[in-house]
Amino acid sequence: MRIAVIQFPGTNCEHETLVAVKECGMDGEIFRWNRPEQELCEFDGYVIPGGFSYQDRVRAGVIASKEPVMATLREEAANGKPIIGICNGFQILVESGILPFGDGVRLALAQNVMIRGGEIVRRGYYCAWTMLRHDAEERRCSGSYILRRGEILSIPIAHAEGNLVSSDKKVIERLIEDDQIVFRYCSERGDIISEFPVNVNGSTENIAGICNPEGNVLGMMPHPERAFFAWQLPWKHPRVRGYGPGRIVFESMRRYIEERRL
Amino acid sequence: MIINLRVWLKIPDAEAATVKNTLLRRMGYQGIIRDVRRERLLSIESDDVSDPDSLIKQLTRELVNENKENFAVSVGSLELSNGCVPVKVSLWIEDGEAISIKDRLVKRLGLKMIRSVQRANIWKLYIDGDDPESVARRIAEELLVNPNKDRYEIIKLG
Repeated sequence: MRIAVIQFPGTNCEHETLVAVKECGMDGEIFRWNRPEQELCEFDGYVIPGGFSYQDRVRAGVIASKEPVMATLREEAANGKPIIGICNGFQILVESGILPFGDGVRLALAQNVMIRGGEIVRRGYYCAWTMLRHDAEERRCSGSYILRRGEILSIPIAHAEGNLVSSDKKVIERLIEDDQIVFRYCSERGDIISEFPVNVNGSTENIAGICNPEGNVLGMMPHPERAFFAWQLPWKHPRVRGYGPGRIVFESMRRYIEERRL
Repeated sequence: MIINLRVWLKIPDAEAATVKNTLLRRMGYQGIIRDVRRERLLSIESDDVSDPDSLIKQLTRELVNENKENFAVSVGSLELSNGCVPVKVSLWIEDGEAISIKDRLVKRLGLKMIRSVQRANIWKLYIDGDDPESVARRIAEELLVNPNKDRYEIIKLG
């Protein structure tokens, strides 16, 4: 089972993401953006890690979205292979139009706007541990395949542009109706509160992660590879079988590929 | 009055170079795009003041770093040179940075006459061919703008 961890100029989480992939029993390698794109087809799944591809020039993710490897990833997504985009990887998937519906740029990840008591209290880059509620059905999405609806994970974010918006209300309605909202920012008890600090970036409907209609492509702003090992967690955060909750995302990918093969 | 402050880099502009490279190498604009340049535009609305030159000097001192940037100021209409298609890109959702600039000018620097600040990027596209405006529109929609948060307009040159 081979996973390609895609590296663009400016990606900066590829090594820890590859460690997470390998810890979950998958083989993997870092795949540079300028390798022949047809070599991507040999892999069973893909992770686009976080960072600042092309220094976020023009806007986060848009330059990387024009690279030939992204056209190949679009084809592999249509073939049902799993793709997980983390943070900048999510921004690239949105700018390439692979998320949310595969039919063009239907969303934007705009600058963070933190609102409390109806007032803007902060804007821009923010780095913090967040609570995420898994809002999709079990087995709905490749990156949360083994999570039940309502389970809560503690995973950190670190971004300036994670405020998911759309110019078309129907896009958000369709995401809700089709069960494509995978993770929402929530309180420790799992309540969805639209204000900061629960909603860390002002994202519509507290959305932290979404999948495509088929469920094989997941984009999420939080960094599961930074909550993978127990030693990465704050001392009072709950461990999952001795690991951090971020491991579940990579375990899910492995399970998704195994079951798809059967 | 509206003070238009255009700011561009003296040093090489990596962002403009990246846009040019992406258009040429990845998006099929070889032989169409000759060059791409970028300017920052701040449109600052102010009450009329007795000494506008002094206000403009103060604004440029605060908003321009002359070690790396050049600037040009016009009051009223926006003045741009010919030879390119200027595409003005701004946010249609709330622009937090523009609000921060206004707050800085009014609350920290005491420029109480400032009413509003609007921010945009002007992409100056040097295009060969018959219909440069429609090429510029295509480039804006394919690369420069995400319509879920941005808007654009082609600035007509005089």
